[in-house]
Amino acid sequence: MDLLDLKAPEGDAWMFLVLFGVVVAGPLIVEKVKIPGIIGLFLGGLLVGPHGLDLIGAGNTTVFALGELGLLYLMFVAGLELDLRLVRVHRRSVAIFSILSFSVPLLAGTAAGLLLGFEVASAILLGALLASHTLIVYPTIRRFKLGSGRAVATGVGATVVTDTLALIVLAIVIGSSSPGEKGGKVSLPELVSQVALGLLIVSVFAFLVLPRAAKAFLATFGSSRTSRYVFALVALLSAATVAQVLGIEEIIGAFFAGLALNRLVPNQGDLMDRIDFFGRAVFVPVFVVSVGLVINPEVLSDPETLRMVGIFTLACLGGKALAVTIARPLLGFSWPQAGVLFSLTAAQAAATLAVADAGRSHGLFGDAVYNAVLGLILISLVAASVVATLFGRRVPMPAPSAAADHGRLVLLMIANDSQIRPRVAELAVRLASTDGGVVRPVVVLPEGGDAPDVEGLEALERRLAVMGIDLPVTLRVDHSLNAALGHELTSTGATAVVVDDGEGQWRRELESEASSSPVPVLLISAVGSGERRVVSFGGNPSGAGLVDDIANRLAPPRTKVVLGDGTSGGTEEGATDLVVTTSQADVGPAGDRALTLVTLI
Amino acid sequence: MADRRGVLALVVGVILVLGACGRVVGGAAGRFRPSTPGVLKVATAEVPLAGFWEGSMPDPDGGFEQGLAAALAERFDLSRIEVLTVPFGDLIAGRLGGADIAVSQLTPTSERGKVLDFSIPYLASTPAVLTSQGNTVNDLASAREQRFSVQRRSTLAYFLDTVVVPGEPVRLVDDLHESVEALGQGTVDAVLVDLPVASAIASRSNGRLVVTGQFDSDDSLAVAMPQDSPNREAVDSALRAFTDDGIIRDLARRWLAVSLTGVQAERVPLIPAKL
Repeated sequence: MDLLDLKAPEGDAWMFLVLFGVVVAGPLIVEKVKIPGIIGLFLGGLLVGPHGLDLIGAGNTTVFALGELGLLYLMFVAGLELDLRLVRVHRRSVAIFSILSFSVPLLAGTAAGLLLGFEVASAILLGALLASHTLIVYPTIRRFKLGSGRAVATGVGATVVTDTLALIVLAIVIGSSSPGEKGGKVSLPELVSQVALGLLIVSVFAFLVLPRAAKAFLATFGSSRTSRYVFALVALLSAATVAQVLGIEEIIGAFFAGLALNRLVPNQGDLMDRIDFFGRAVFVPVFVVSVGLVINPEVLSDPETLRMVGIFTLACLGGKALAVTIARPLLGFSWPQAGVLFSLTAAQAAATLAVADAGRSHGLFGDAVYNAVLGLILISLVAASVVATLFGRRVPMPAPSAAADHGRLVLLMIANDSQIRPRVAELAVRLASTDGGVVRPVVVLPEGGDAPDVEGLEALERRLAVMGIDLPVTLRVDHSLNAALGHELTSTGATAVVVDDGEGQWRRELESEASSSPVPVLLISAVGSGERRVVSFGGNPSGAGLVDDIANRLAPPRTKVVLGDGTSGGTEEGATDLVVTTSQADVGPAGDRALTLVTLI
Repeated sequence: MADRRGVLALVVGVILVLGACGRVVGGAAGRFRPSTPGVLKVATAEVPLAGFWEGSMPDPDGGFEQGLAAALAERFDLSRIEVLTVPFGDLIAGRLGGADIAVSQLTPTSERGKVLDFSIPYLASTPAVLTSQGNTVNDLASAREQRFSVQRRSTLAYFLDTVVVPGEPVRLVDDLHESVEALGQGTVDAVLVDLPVASAIASRSNGRLVVTGQFDSDDSLAVAMPQDSPNREAVDSALRAFTDDGIIRDLARRWLAVSLTGVQAERVPLIPAKL
């Protein structure tokens, strides 16, 4: 008699077990031998795929569908995480280097493709693929504290341009290889206009419609963290769908959606944390594993494929090296800086995979080329990591800027669980957004007072979330407002403080206790309803620069900022709605006009 | 300046050297090498076969697989198609009769993979039950009560044997026409056949035959080639392009009366049972 009727494992549960087993174990194993975790995912996919143990067969559609979603998610996050502020600050370097970093590998790759006997469309697509890059080594560079340096900023900024251009080339090439409505080929002018119009519509949707929809959604339904995250998914997928409907690759829509929502999703915020978490835990690893399923060792080890790997690697890394070598004297970089720049732009991953995937799906690349591209990716990841480590330690750290990042971490201090005026929260969010920072709400309770009202705090969190502040509320129990402020500054390393001081309580206490603060403290008393002009009074000569900086950060887009002459004691006549001054210019409340005191004490 | 020239010269030089070594690699999507220049030789088991090969030999003029072959010929820049009928048993034994490819509702299996190369799938093919109007087979119990007919040595015969396990003896046939005839004559109650084939036959029967249910399966149809064929990459790339461009979808809509939304045609009920 058989006690157990055992069956071979099969079905969806088994498939997901295998998949997520690879996601967990793959990186862990390879990182033990100092190999980037992403390679563990590739190799894991190879192991369990149809060319390995066949635990996930070639006919499996679920894993590949999840992989497609993972690719879209990867491109979305790539757009979301880019620090566009750096791009704006170093735009000349970014512009020059972007052109070089795209065009040189594009030409080298196209030449390599033609030399290998590719059709023109496939050769150009290969060039575009090699011209893109992914900031895989950026975390390594940041560890050397080089994140704000000009070389790094140039590399980061170039990513936006090169990846976007690569995807545009993809759209054109795919469009040229697909049949037209009546089955025949599309003429070049018609194709270019179709692609241009398609990209325009996708851009309008991503950069105009999505941010407005996001703001409206967050304002109305954004109190729930879950709904905010799901909205981000909807935004990503809607942009991808719009692109697909217009005959543009979905990954372009996803990338544009990330760029468009970049300002609304601070990198240090709660929502970005969630997006990053699900990306790292599920979507992106599944995509990489699904790519690994396709790796065919037989094809990859074929001498012809290996030759292609060699040629692709030379065209890609050689092209990137040449671009950096040309840019170095033009932009005044040292050799170590050039090395860092090369390491940032050499790594091939997300955009490369996306373009290669699209090329294969459209029948422009066969398995040999696809596997050769995977070989290139593996080599480039290792090379970029090595170069980043080699040169990163030789680049001196950039000098910190006095006005660099007041908005990086803004404390919003709330006495007890009192009402926080939306306008005050809005100003705090605006201050933070100029640096891509976050607002951290802190409720201060007196020592020995009543226990905190949990429901009240939750309601406060929901109200703050609707105002765009998605970090949870921190409770600080202390013997005075001044002590609470000091302790929070010490424990968080905040870069600015915003206080709703409608009743003047904070100002009285801070001034009476001769408090000191290493960062600006904005005490906001009365608030107006609009801002037609921002006037800055730099009453304290040594603080004039800071006051002007704060004024510029608080001013909404296209609002005139008037820099005052240092006089204090009153506000401008006329249509002034927001005034920024120092505490020494004791302006006091002024009716329906807003007064913001920047206190340097 | 010397740095730039040096790097440029090195890159170009190495690329040229590597590019010149060995034989030239084919196009990016693989290069198709026909056995007869300018001619695509296609083997198939049955002509005519409703929905798949319409018309008659030597020049079938319609059908899903005929359309697929024509699309392949056009992509590979071949001016002519030559259709060869080869018995099903020979095809799955690896004997294609000199054809470059076989397009004949073939399902890849590991056994067949020992003697043939298969392309990526071009059509999902779940096992479906074709019966006469009025006879409903929508669960395993009722399926087991049917007198079935199925093609000999097909994956469907294996499925019938191991999953359905009918109570009545199964009538094995060499080609599908025999099964459909037997169904019409009432000597069998049901035919187990690939869903696209069943749909095509039912849609042309003036309502006499219906597809009453389908079984869940990962099976699919693929193009077969002689083992170690140099053409596999080119055929795979072509099928991916056809899937992406909608050519496969349009052929299926036109000839098979199926909508390729996902793996299964949505209108045919699923019979809960699995291999």
